[in-house]
Amino acid sequence: ADWKGWNIHGKDYPVGIAMEKFIELASAKTDGRVGGKVFHGGVLGSQGDAISQMQLGGIEFAGFNLGPLGNAVPELDVLSLPFIFKDMEHMHRVMDGETGDVLSAAMRKSGIMALSWYDSGARSFYNNKGVVINEPADLKGLKFRVMGNPLYVDMVEALGGNGIPMAYSEVYSSLKTGVIDGAENNWPSFESSAHYEVAGNYSLSQHLILPECICVSVSAFDALSDEDQKSVKEAAVASAVLQRSEWAKRVEVSKAAVLKSGVKFNEIADKSAFQALMAPVYEGAVKKNPILKELIAGIKAVD
Amino acid sequence: MGLFILLGCFALLLVIGMPVAYALGIAALSSFVYEGVPLLIGFQRIVSGVSIFSLLAIPFFIFAGELMLHGGIAARLVSLASSAVGWAKGGLGQVNVFSSMLFGGISGSAVADVSALGSLLIPVMKEKGYSADYAVNVTVTSSVAGIMIPPSHNMILFVVAAGGGISVSSLFMAGLIPGVLMCLCLGFVARWVAIRNNYPTEKFPGWSVVLYAAITAFPGLFTAVIIVGGALSGVFTVTESGAIGCIYAIVVCLLVYRSLSWQGFVTAVKNAVRTTGMVMILVACASAFGYMLVLYDVPTELTKFLYAISDNPIIILLMMNLMLLVLGMIMDMSALILICTPIFLPVAAGLGMDPIQFGVMLMMNLGLGLCTPPVGSCLFVGCAIGGVPIQNAVRTIWPFYLAILVTLMLITFVPSVSMFLPNLLNG
Amino acid sequence: MEKQFTLRSLLERCLDFLAAIGTLVSALSLVVLVSTFGWLVYGRYILNDSPTWVEQLALLMMITITFMSSATGIRERTHLAVDIIPMLCGPRVKTVLRLICDLILCGFGVLMALKANELLQFTWSREIPLLSIPEGVRYIPVIISGVLVALFSATSVLSAVILLLTDSDAVLHEKRSEPTNKAEE
Ligand code: NA
Ligand code: NA
Repeated sequence: ADWKGWNIHGKDYPVGIAMEKFIELASAKTDGRVGGKVFHGGVLGSQGDAISQMQLGGIEFAGFNLGPLGNAVPELDVLSLPFIFKDMEHMHRVMDGETGDVLSAAMRKSGIMALSWYDSGARSFYNNKGVVINEPADLKGLKFRVMGNPLYVDMVEALGGNGIPMAYSEVYSSLKTGVIDGAENNWPSFESSAHYEVAGNYSLSQHLILPECICVSVSAFDALSDEDQKSVKEAAVASAVLQRSEWAKRVEVSKAAVLKSGVKFNEIADKSAFQALMAPVYEGAVKKNPILKELIAGIKAVD
Repeated sequence: MGLFILLGCFALLLVIGMPVAYALGIAALSSFVYEGVPLLIGFQRIVSGVSIFSLLAIPFFIFAGELMLHGGIAARLVSLASSAVGWAKGGLGQVNVFSSMLFGGISGSAVADVSALGSLLIPVMKEKGYSADYAVNVTVTSSVAGIMIPPSHNMILFVVAAGGGISVSSLFMAGLIPGVLMCLCLGFVARWVAIRNNYPTEKFPGWSVVLYAAITAFPGLFTAVIIVGGALSGVFTVTESGAIGCIYAIVVCLLVYRSLSWQGFVTAVKNAVRTTGMVMILVACASAFGYMLVLYDVPTELTKFLYAISDNPIIILLMMNLMLLVLGMIMDMSALILICTPIFLPVAAGLGMDPIQFGVMLMMNLGLGLCTPPVGSCLFVGCAIGGVPIQNAVRTIWPFYLAILVTLMLITFVPSVSMFLPNLLNG
Repeated sequence: MEKQFTLRSLLERCLDFLAAIGTLVSALSLVVLVSTFGWLVYGRYILNDSPTWVEQLALLMMITITFMSSATGIRERTHLAVDIIPMLCGPRVKTVLRLICDLILCGFGVLMALKANELLQFTWSREIPLLSIPEGVRYIPVIISGVLVALFSATSVLSAVILLLTDSDAVLHEKRSEPTNKAEE
């Protein structure tokens, strides 16, 4: 089969490297019965478009971020809850465990199958006001750009700041000129977007840890023999191992580069005050989407 | 074979007179069918193609231009230009070029520039003894300033077609020097031709008249300060500055000039949505077309092809310019920006050219195409206003083409012409 | 013969009316778009509270303007086309070429309406973030646009056919909403 793969990131980004590895391994393990090409840089459309394209049979595999995928698979919205994971390791334990299985099963129903989980780091706040964020009160009165999801507006408001959804392309100039006071993202994006040039304080809040997945369309996967399915699955697991190590390397490189340019960085010793303020945000989310209740409990149960 | 179907269908539909936008869309859908990609995805691409935030600035710039024309700002700019440079040799030719520079600094569209300034200036020039083809030539070629001098909706199309990652403000700044340079070259040519034909000169009206014209034009000119200045200073985003520019233009025309009637407003809105619809349906259908170009890996193939002919960067750049010029002669600008950017930009980047410099080169090149037969909307509109057959206008237009070509070569081979201001801006 | 022309002019008037509505809807969308951004800036600087729905609403307006006014453009023949070849041809060939174009366009319009309707149903259960309306709403203007494109080009096909059958010279008028038509009535 000649599969088309969608990737929003560049070819040399960890996801791009891992997806190339996936299709290479899958091809080798199935003697070429599965093969294809990865289209990097989002040339086939946005993630929302790509999700529809996979469901409609236009593309066969993709590296999806699980955040926007919640629009098609409501269960996944649990991962978008701020401060739901304590840190990266906690997220790995959850996704590789029972909750991960529940989520894959939910995705399968919508025609998208998660083969393995990729990392996409943890998002933290940065600002151009020289504010060192250690407790929620430090956000007071600051305008942070957030992604276009009401959840994140609520999150910043709950912490006492002002959440402003804004197109990503406008963030750099808005930071530079003070239209907004800050934004939030992971280390590699903080570096590659050059936002560190215009926002010099990075506080490791890690409020959002959204995994990504290497997904295939259920119909393409089911068309394979049992043996080939197994091989494809193995290829995906191997590519995830590669992706996670590439990601870790990338984070170190970006962090070093950004710190070298003079960005001030602080860890937050105790995040419990932030987590406590999220209660109404979670309540609101559960009210809108009751299935989240059990999932939240499941994640909280994992140490 | 698939690529042949895509390009073949497109060419065939163009030849029989299908609107370019729909020709792109239908050709794309045919190759979706051929490749077995679900048609739903084709229509998804068409709709997603216009669901891009940066594109929102386009209707705003177009609307601002229309408001200026129907609200009396354009007429005041012409008065200013006339009193300031009308006394030079070939005076009204200079006035025409200078007005284009001012007007181009607000409207982002060359065709709007021709129709607005052409209808104001061509009749006056004919009356004062200039030949009609000279009047049309100057009007048409100087309208390219509307594309080069910021703001410019074609530049936004380029940024979107390049897939983001290019700063609109930087590109705007990059167009300024080339735009002014082109106007200087055109002004020089306008003077040279005027001296040869012994066209009349206006009397210098005196400083008080110049001052008065400047003061009257100032509130209108301030629209440009709001749009460009607002975006560069970061008080507004580019998109917001477009909208604020429209609101400001309405306020000025209504309260200061008192020259915007309800009828004028309605016409401005109608024309703006008509133009927006034309441009955006092109964007929409080009997005489905581009999807197939990507699947067929056309940019990589073209790069290989060009490098097979020569690996000398100068030759490759000249070849690219030549291909763009030829395409520009037979097709319209916005469609070509959308089709050519993803194909040619990687080639230029491979030569180490900055995407911004490439963008400026593309604008100037395709802008020239707007002034050439067989397909050139600026030339068509200019000839229609001047009442000149196209073949007559073209007979005497070559010195003006030459002025644009000289600027184009400067842009192509001297990076700092485009890059000086953006580099200065970004420290 | 007499009756046929009255029917046709009635049809033409209905279509002109539809086109006028299309223009009105896009014109209103543009005005809303400009006001929305004015409100956004006002909100940020004066109220210190940015409205969150602007981005998605603006995209919806953009789709409306694009698809409504491009459909009207078919009726008013304002779209950019490369008509060198048709210009060089005789009137009869020219009419035939236009007939072919309009037939294809009509097919495209029908297809667009049908497929956009499928997309509407496909995405109806999802929500546009921050607007809390179904994602499928985006496709409503596209469906309407498809229907209008089909209608406008179908009538153009019809008049071309009548012309080819009745008139040996078969010269189509460039614009139908111009006074030439009124003279016919
Ligand atoms: Na301009
Ligand atoms: Na041309």
